[in-house]
Amino acid sequence: MRDRPLNAIVAVVVFAAMMVGASIELQAMRDRMYPPRPLDEDSLYIQSGPMLRRLTVAYNALAADLYWIRAIQYYGDGKRRLASHARVPDPPPMIAAATSDAYSLLYPLLDLTTSLDPRFNIAYRFGAVFLAEAYPSGPGRPDLAVKLLEKGLAERPDKWEYMEDIGFVHYWYDHDYRAAAEWFRKASLAPGAPWWLQSLAATTLAQGGDRQSSRVMWEAILQSSEVGWQRQDAERRLLQLRALDQIDDYQKIVDDYASRAGAPATDWAPIIRARSWPGTPADPSLTPYVLTGGRVTVAQSSPLWPLPDEPQRADSRPPS
Amino acid sequence: MPALATFELTKDYAIGFWRKRPYRALHGLTLEIAPGEVFGFLGPNGAGKTTTLKLLMQLVFPTSGRAEILGRPLGDLSVKRRIGYLPEHPYFYDYLTAEELLTYFAGLFGYSGADRRARASRLLDEVGIGAERRMQLRKFSKGMLQRVGIAQAILNDPELVIFDEPMSGLDPLGRRDVRSLILRLRDRGCTVFFSSHVLSDAEALCDRVAILARGRLAAMGRLTDMLPFRARGWELVVAGVRDDTVAALGNRVRRAVRLSEGHYLLDLPPDSLPERLVGELTAGGASLTSLNPIRQTLEEFFVEHVTAPEAAGAPRGLEPRAGRRP
Amino acid sequence: MKATAWIAINVFRESVRDKVLYNLVFFAILLIAASYLIGQLTAGQDVKIIKDLGLAATSIFGLFIAVFIGIGLVSKEVERRSVYSLLAKPIHRYQLLIGKYCGLVLTLVVNISIMAAALYVVLAYMSWGVSPAAARIWDAPALDPALLKAASLLLAELSIVTAIALFFSTFSTPMLSAAMTFGLYIVGHFTNDLRNFADLVDSPAAARLARGLSWALPNLAQFDVRADVVHGVPVAFGYMGLACLYAAVYVAMLLAISVLVFSRRDFK
Repeated sequence: MRDRPLNAIVAVVVFAAMMVGASIELQAMRDRMYPPRPLDEDSLYIQSGPMLRRLTVAYNALAADLYWIRAIQYYGDGKRRLASHARVPDPPPMIAAATSDAYSLLYPLLDLTTSLDPRFNIAYRFGAVFLAEAYPSGPGRPDLAVKLLEKGLAERPDKWEYMEDIGFVHYWYDHDYRAAAEWFRKASLAPGAPWWLQSLAATTLAQGGDRQSSRVMWEAILQSSEVGWQRQDAERRLLQLRALDQIDDYQKIVDDYASRAGAPATDWAPIIRARSWPGTPADPSLTPYVLTGGRVTVAQSSPLWPLPDEPQRADSRPPS
Repeated sequence: MPALATFELTKDYAIGFWRKRPYRALHGLTLEIAPGEVFGFLGPNGAGKTTTLKLLMQLVFPTSGRAEILGRPLGDLSVKRRIGYLPEHPYFYDYLTAEELLTYFAGLFGYSGADRRARASRLLDEVGIGAERRMQLRKFSKGMLQRVGIAQAILNDPELVIFDEPMSGLDPLGRRDVRSLILRLRDRGCTVFFSSHVLSDAEALCDRVAILARGRLAAMGRLTDMLPFRARGWELVVAGVRDDTVAALGNRVRRAVRLSEGHYLLDLPPDSLPERLVGELTAGGASLTSLNPIRQTLEEFFVEHVTAPEAAGAPRGLEPRAGRRP
Repeated sequence: MKATAWIAINVFRESVRDKVLYNLVFFAILLIAASYLIGQLTAGQDVKIIKDLGLAATSIFGLFIAVFIGIGLVSKEVERRSVYSLLAKPIHRYQLLIGKYCGLVLTLVVNISIMAAALYVVLAYMSWGVSPAAARIWDAPALDPALLKAASLLLAELSIVTAIALFFSTFSTPMLSAAMTFGLYIVGHFTNDLRNFADLVDSPAAARLARGLSWALPNLAQFDVRADVVHGVPVAFGYMGLACLYAAVYVAMLLAISVLVFSRRDFK
């Protein structure tokens, strides 16, 4: 056989190449005709993180990477399947109610990933994003998102990013502004935390309707901040809070007038006359308030405009 | 048509991790073996004997040159039906018995069931393996393995057999058996080509020999042509001679070895007319035990040619390399 | 071809005499002991666990046989020089190689058949005397013929692993061959992940490399239908056909290259 070596080598190489091509074609055909099934509950034999850690021993990090890839794939598959089914979504369920089957394994996968590698940063952060995504296109489990992030914090208590992320979960998905603000505050105390976290906390409190706490926070910022812009911003915010208080008071008067007059007030004039005020009520920046359609608001020309949204008006949607 | 012929057969091996230097194991070997002769292939370790045999058996491939076996070029599969091969240090399959091994190999030749078993049995008889044939090969001694090796080499009644060191590891009885087997093969008309270190076997068996040294053919031809017949001395053994008689011989004796009381071995120079000395000693009351001429042995010839500088070129045998038929 | 078959039979004979098949005894004991212990568990789960255990053990033992005999198929012969007398016979080198391969596959077929039979025996024992009502909660019947589907696909998978081991054996030492074969076995189970990985990376070059490798490397995960079979999920014959065809094609490629390497090799 060594007499005509070139012929033999060429023949074998061509044959091998053909076989490789055929094998690829067969794989593709098989995938087309029998699409691979998604993971289901029982296929995650080992659901216990510590057990899996012991099993993969020296290769924990690699196993973590593998589970992370699987988690992302699983998440993507879930989205694809839901999109293709084109279901009419049910009304958003209460927190921690049953979610769609499409994502039942997402938390276990992420939990295993982070058990295998407790410092797997993006697994915590993106994992939380995936988990919190609202039903029906996502799992709608902000509680699990928080649980995952808290697990990350257990490993690294000073990671302000996780605290901030928890705050955002509470903010966007739970609408629990008090909790959100508390987490932002905690985050701002972590070493290396950016200066604006304090502001974030204060703002959130205001949005939660808790003006007093917000006021206290802004006072603190005003006192302690070394950033000039932040101090000016704090002053403005405090004035805004005062404005909100004033608006509440004025609104009561306006409503009272409207109930006695039998019609909503459209103008300050009659009220000023009735109350013998020196002039149009003005906000702390000395810009007069505007009265339209029976509601007292700050003028657009005022430096205090716009005032912070408060919950009853807010229908905030998370950034996409 | 020669039974076996090589033409400038050359083999280079690549030595070194990065495949740099070629090492020439065999340099342009050209020889011919006539059908029916017993041909000895001699040479020191590393001369290239085993390489040559492996080239012939297509276990390695030549760098250049060619060879023919039974008139067919190397690589012809049908030729392998007509030849037999015994490798150096044969190893077979531990888990098989001798019988099973031979039946296995017989099957590879294409013999049918009953024929296989018959052949195996016959050959085991011929090489002298009796009841042990049902034992697994891993329990066999070296000598027995060698016999099994020979048996598998002649399983197909070959026209040409190639033996690599057939006597290695055998005790004197074994060697005697192998010698007689080789002679039997020759009597049947089989050509025998074997390599060996054991020069006395070559002297006893071979019609012609070739001597290989450092990959080159150093000598080839009939033993009788290569070793001058002329005696180089005499070896005389006498009994019943007195010590002082021997001492008095002086220069007439190259060397005197006292074997026992009155028993002497005398080494006489070539031109010494030993019969006269014998007469003198026997007249003095001694008796002649033996008188032998000392000729150049194959060993001396061998050493002489093998250690000669390579650059000498033409072989020092008395026969030109190609062409002349015995 | 007779010579090839003859060599194959002798490889089988060697493996039998080499006490390879003694592992079957060990397997059987393992199963029986496990079944006894697990019999203490409450109803329903024990059959599933026995099936899982049985199929997993079959797979592991099969893998070890395929690798450890496969890597020595050629290298042992060459190292011990028994190949010299073998090749002096009127056979082509490729007949030797293909014969060795078929012999080992034959050994695997026998091994796995016996293990499957032992599994069925144990399952029969376990399901003896279980009421139909209790049996109804099982995902799949105890003596499920679909177990044979899992065993057949396992055989197809191991035929690829054997070909890989043989390929390395033609030019490499046993130690290295074992490492590479095991390595490819593990990678072969993650080709799907490799393909997914290609979707995730940013660099197009890395993505192309990952995708290329995921197609070219042997895809062994497709033969693992054990989870499906144990849960009673049907495995289509079309799927099995495609998978087996893939195995045949891949093995043909590996054998062709092995034959080429082996035929040109000097046996020093």
